[in-house]
Amino acid sequence: MAMSFQKPWFLARARRRFAMTRECALLLPRVCAALADPRQPGSDDTCLEKLLDWFRELTLFDSTVQLVQDNPCLTEFITSVLALPEPSPSILSFTLRLAGILAASENRFQHLQQEKLLARLFGRDGPPNSAVWEDASVRSGWVQGVHNMMHHQPALHLLCSGGGIDVIFTLQGDPSLFVASAASQLLVHMLTLSVESETTKPLSTKDCDWPACAQMIIKRIEDSLQSSSASHIEQSLKLLTSLFGSCRATWTEVLWLGVAKQIESFLTEETVQVQHMLANLLLNMAWSPVFRDTEGSFWALVTSALEHLTPVQAGPLAVGILRLYKCPQDVRIQALTVLLQPMDCILRAASQPLEYAGLLDESVSDPITVESLLSSRSSCANLLCQTLAHLEQLLSLSRLPVDLPYTSLLRSLMTILQFCNGFLSPASPLGSTISRILINCFRVQRSALDVLAALSERKGSDTLIGSLFDLLLAYLESPNTSPTVLKKTFQATSKWLVRLQELSCSNSQGQQTEKILEDVFLVLQKRLCSPCWEVRDSSLEFLTVLIKCLRDQDEFRQSLLSSEVPRLTENLLEDPESYVRASAVTAVGHLAFITYFAPESPVVGNQYNKENTVAKLQEILSTDPEGFPRRAVISIFIKWLRQGCTGQLEDTEQFVSRVIQTVEHDLDWEVRLGGLELIEVFCSQTICQLGLLQCPYAPVSSAVTSSTHWNESLQVFCRAKLFSFLFRSLCDCDKPVGQRACDVLLGLRSNFYPVSTLEGSQGTGDSAVGIAWLQRTLRQGSLAQNFPTDGSNGVDFQDPENMMLALGAVALEELHDELNRSSDHVEKSPQSLLQDILATVGTIEENEADCY
Amino acid sequence: MPEIKVTPLGAGQDVGRSCILVSIAGKNVMLDCGMHMGYNDDRRFPDFSYITQNGRLTDFLDCVIISHFHLDHCGALPYFSEMVGYDGPIYMTHPTKAICPILLEDYRKITVDKKGETNFFTSQMIKDCMKKVVAVHLHQTVQVDEELEIKAYYAGHVLGAAMFQIKVGCESVVYTGDYNMTPDRHLGAAWIDKCRPDLLISESTYATTIRDSKRCRERDFLKKVHETVERGGKVLIPVFALGRAQELCILLETFWERMNLKAPIYFSTGLTEKANHYYKLFITWTNQKIRKTFVQRNMFEFKHIKAFDRAFADNPGPMVVFATPGMLHAGQSLQIFRKWAGNEKNMVIMPGYCVQGTVGHKILSGQRKLEMEGRQILEVKMQVEYMSFSAHADAKGIMQLIRQAEPRNVLLVHGEAKKMEFLKQKIEQEFHVSCYMPANGETTTIFTNPSIPVDISLGLLKRETAIGLLPDGKKPKLMHGTLIMKDNSFRLVSPEQALKELGLAEHQLRFTCRVHIQDPRKEHETVLRVYNHLKGVLKDYSVQHLPDGSITVESILIQATAHSEDQGTKVLLVSWTYQDEELGSYLTSLLKKGLPQSTS
Repeated sequence: MAMSFQKPWFLARARRRFAMTRECALLLPRVCAALADPRQPGSDDTCLEKLLDWFRELTLFDSTVQLVQDNPCLTEFITSVLALPEPSPSILSFTLRLAGILAASENRFQHLQQEKLLARLFGRDGPPNSAVWEDASVRSGWVQGVHNMMHHQPALHLLCSGGGIDVIFTLQGDPSLFVASAASQLLVHMLTLSVESETTKPLSTKDCDWPACAQMIIKRIEDSLQSSSASHIEQSLKLLTSLFGSCRATWTEVLWLGVAKQIESFLTEETVQVQHMLANLLLNMAWSPVFRDTEGSFWALVTSALEHLTPVQAGPLAVGILRLYKCPQDVRIQALTVLLQPMDCILRAASQPLEYAGLLDESVSDPITVESLLSSRSSCANLLCQTLAHLEQLLSLSRLPVDLPYTSLLRSLMTILQFCNGFLSPASPLGSTISRILINCFRVQRSALDVLAALSERKGSDTLIGSLFDLLLAYLESPNTSPTVLKKTFQATSKWLVRLQELSCSNSQGQQTEKILEDVFLVLQKRLCSPCWEVRDSSLEFLTVLIKCLRDQDEFRQSLLSSEVPRLTENLLEDPESYVRASAVTAVGHLAFITYFAPESPVVGNQYNKENTVAKLQEILSTDPEGFPRRAVISIFIKWLRQGCTGQLEDTEQFVSRVIQTVEHDLDWEVRLGGLELIEVFCSQTICQLGLLQCPYAPVSSAVTSSTHWNESLQVFCRAKLFSFLFRSLCDCDKPVGQRACDVLLGLRSNFYPVSTLEGSQGTGDSAVGIAWLQRTLRQGSLAQNFPTDGSNGVDFQDPENMMLALGAVALEELHDELNRSSDHVEKSPQSLLQDILATVGTIEENEADCY
Repeated sequence: MPEIKVTPLGAGQDVGRSCILVSIAGKNVMLDCGMHMGYNDDRRFPDFSYITQNGRLTDFLDCVIISHFHLDHCGALPYFSEMVGYDGPIYMTHPTKAICPILLEDYRKITVDKKGETNFFTSQMIKDCMKKVVAVHLHQTVQVDEELEIKAYYAGHVLGAAMFQIKVGCESVVYTGDYNMTPDRHLGAAWIDKCRPDLLISESTYATTIRDSKRCRERDFLKKVHETVERGGKVLIPVFALGRAQELCILLETFWERMNLKAPIYFSTGLTEKANHYYKLFITWTNQKIRKTFVQRNMFEFKHIKAFDRAFADNPGPMVVFATPGMLHAGQSLQIFRKWAGNEKNMVIMPGYCVQGTVGHKILSGQRKLEMEGRQILEVKMQVEYMSFSAHADAKGIMQLIRQAEPRNVLLVHGEAKKMEFLKQKIEQEFHVSCYMPANGETTTIFTNPSIPVDISLGLLKRETAIGLLPDGKKPKLMHGTLIMKDNSFRLVSPEQALKELGLAEHQLRFTCRVHIQDPRKEHETVLRVYNHLKGVLKDYSVQHLPDGSITVESILIQATAHSEDQGTKVLLVSWTYQDEELGSYLTSLLKKGLPQSTS
């Protein structure tokens, strides 16, 4: 219903916000001088970061030298920092990054190089040779500075000729994770830039003439892959992984062919342990069309990796392969085997000797490794959790490129869950070991329940539904089930109950469904009385989900209403925990759809008293000391109103009026916002009902406007006291409230004023005295405090004519634009930032070191 | 060698947002998950991509521990658990679990109040996150899994703040979070037992400061409020919903009572009630004085402090108002500030840190003409005061805690690099332990020397005791045997028993060495010379010349052969068993020196 007032110039204005204004240009030299002054205490890091953000914005669409020419203080700043004998690490780091941003365009690069500034910052004798290099922030600033600058060939040459490549390669092994990772990313960027900007003819394996910079990098990669140092190999593998992940150009294949043999050997090499890195590398390659579409060698390598890597290492590769739509069938089968093997082992471990119950064809699976992992305490849960997470990932895809054996999968999930709660202790040695390890393992329980929930949406796993509910109910009932596991059990149960209903509609499984529902509500009754608020809350959330999904099903309604659940839910409206009260409000609100508001309510007697419930919710709205329950009430009221549950227009008018008078003084702005939404819905419904419009809020021509109709609806709105709340809200101290009120008023105005008449009437100055006052006070932003009730200066918010005038006269569009800006747009401006940096110079240090 | 690795993602040489990763004996723990309020984008959260590189978060991390409810320690938690995808256990104390969502919700409301905020958690996410939290009691040992256990200690600082001991086997780390070693008006001092952890990770906010007493700061605060109210001015105190606000409320309430003051004090949010409820509920976490007087008078039931209504701001006459948010960047506090700023009789007291960009930061840095929305200029004539009431341990307190816990290593976080450097030297000098101060993203590795309990077989024990003196329980004793590591248990048994148990046959291992000697004589003559030489030198050993021409010294065997290419050189083959290794190597070095002339 909310209208969009986005205008094309809005973006232009946002860009203007970051422009170098006259005021900023005046402040900048002083800021630069203060930053370069070693006697000043260091500026707050966030200020420096925001300053860099600003320069990034300034230079993004402007490659000219104007910025540096008009503001010579920038180059002077760099020069003076370079001249400092011992610059502070944070200022040097800032300078390096700033210089990089400025040098991102070739023009400005040349300008800065006139004084050899960049060579001094990023060249051989720069910071890498100084004592401050010890500080991680300087190394990080250097890498980021180079990365910022690296958009053209001169920058590449500066680095390659100045020994920069060596520095970056060394930094790949930096003790700081941030620096190491940034160095690796920088090399990928430089390699791509070099090949793509310096290659004159397409590269091929036969005639491979890499540009100089690329050549240097590739040589280093090849050398380190052949070295005996695991860390060097790892760094190069990491680099290749991110290269193949980000660059899909054909030259990457040429590069790959040069290193493929070496990398292949790592799969079987025992002296160098880098196998764990290979899965990611191959996965990124598999996603790249350059490799994916080739025949033969690449896929052979993937197959070999799936064979040689350990199940934990191969898992991510397998699931990645299974998500591909284009992939050779045999590779897919092998990936599926890797993924399903642990589940297969679980099934076999639980089955009787000689009874085959596995998931996989025995001829393709070699379960020894997986079995040994599952029978070890340290690896069992890890392997299972990883496998389960991968299965959930696959099942969450809307279109699965591969068929999964759903029934067996469900059986193995159930087996895992039975192991975990001690319901199954098989005789086989493997089975008994696994069951001992898994008992009460919450991690595995949670993961298995997630997959179970995801599996409910796949057809073909219905034969086990009876025993599945036995298991779910056992979990719901067991006192050993932890609150987090219980929540997941509720989620899985609600999904499978929906599935059960679908089945009972198509088959005649009515009785089974009824029994299951009865059992579910029985256990829910207990859980609603749990001493643990998390459990009560999850139970209420579960109930709401069930009502939302199943409220049209007779069996469900009957089972629910014949249980104690509705009464207990109403009791929880007085729960000591506010989260629970809020969830109870939502549940009661939804319950109403099957009690009072149902067209054929199955309720007999006055067990469910509508007035009582509404009064209770009203009471919560006006007296609950916390926001959550009050917000829940207003959301429910909006829902009821939208669904036409609040009765005839007259009743609704009174209802809305009552609610509005309660929420307009609420301390929680989100409740007030909810009140405005309620008004919006009410207005559109009233206007529709009174036949003014078919489509609410659409502008109307004067010919259609019927004065009787708008009179009537305006009278309704005035009687309901909507206008005082709407106009007051325009000056609310919380911006979203003002914005919403303005939206609603603009919507109303478009209904009551045809566009043509509005243009004529606005700003003519013929408005009544009261309206002039309203406009004035709105501008001053103080309406909320000095709201007049009478007097010559006041406005009668209940007088339709007065309100009609107000709607036409108040400059709502202007106000809308004003409100649409972020509330801290002034503080966020560059000018404010520069002023803050200047003002902080010389303030007490103590202010900086404090916690929130 | 076993090691403990620590990588701060936040709070490494800064006071931004705390988030520290610890790897100990194969377990990975995240200590705190804080937010930086100075940023409006993703930079406000720690960069978790460095953890997600290691695979699924929930598989990699064993647990998350939150030390206290301040947002720079817990503010990123809902983002981490509901948006980044961590689904494992989270631990904090009971009061922290109760209060954390209030502050998170308070901050969420302030944040989404501004336009253009994206990627921020919702109210539902805060709730879902809190439902995953396991609350712990002080001094309760909580078993995270079979190997990993944690234990909370009282930290002072704020209600519910705790230090945590993380223990795997016999290796342990203590993380202090923020702590205070001197009791304040409503909280006690931090305390830990002599747990001798391998590593103590301590905050160091006031690493170089010896703070003036908090009493002084409190007196100063009361004096300023009193003076303003006396001259008919209004006092605005911008606060966050909980924490410092309660402390200041107690202070003013007591002062008003004592001085019989009549000016009204208001609290602007509806949150006070809940906040005070928690202070009542967790009365055991407050200090002794509050607990003692609780029966006669509940410190948190205020007589003078009343709920604020928006219309009150325009009332004439003096008043004191607590309003949120604490940095004057939106909402109620900013609105009141705009109303009152123009009157020099009024005063605003900022009791906490303000980030750049906020009105709070601007007025604290001395700016008096502020551009507000719509190009309006607001002239600030009211008095502006900054008063830090934050309760951190100062340098003396940090040293005191180290003395209490007796750690083997110390690692400093949550402080500025320069100050840390100073304290680091002081700690190393005074306690002779290594002290580290990694920057964010840097990993510190600490090698530990854990003692591992081993069962010893009775037979071996008896045999060893029979050989040596009677065992003295207090002194360590050297034992020889075979260590069998099986099914997660360690046993020391005699070699014979080990062979028997494992079904293995015994092999003799001999070490050999060839020594070349220049001697043109025949082989048997050379042997004789060697024999005589050894007999002369090794008087206490049994040196024998065997009929087959070889020499034995104890179990060491020496044979001589002529060199195949040079008859003038003789090759002595020396071989010995493992038991006689010392003698064997002594003999070889002796022979390498050559034979003395006199024996010829």
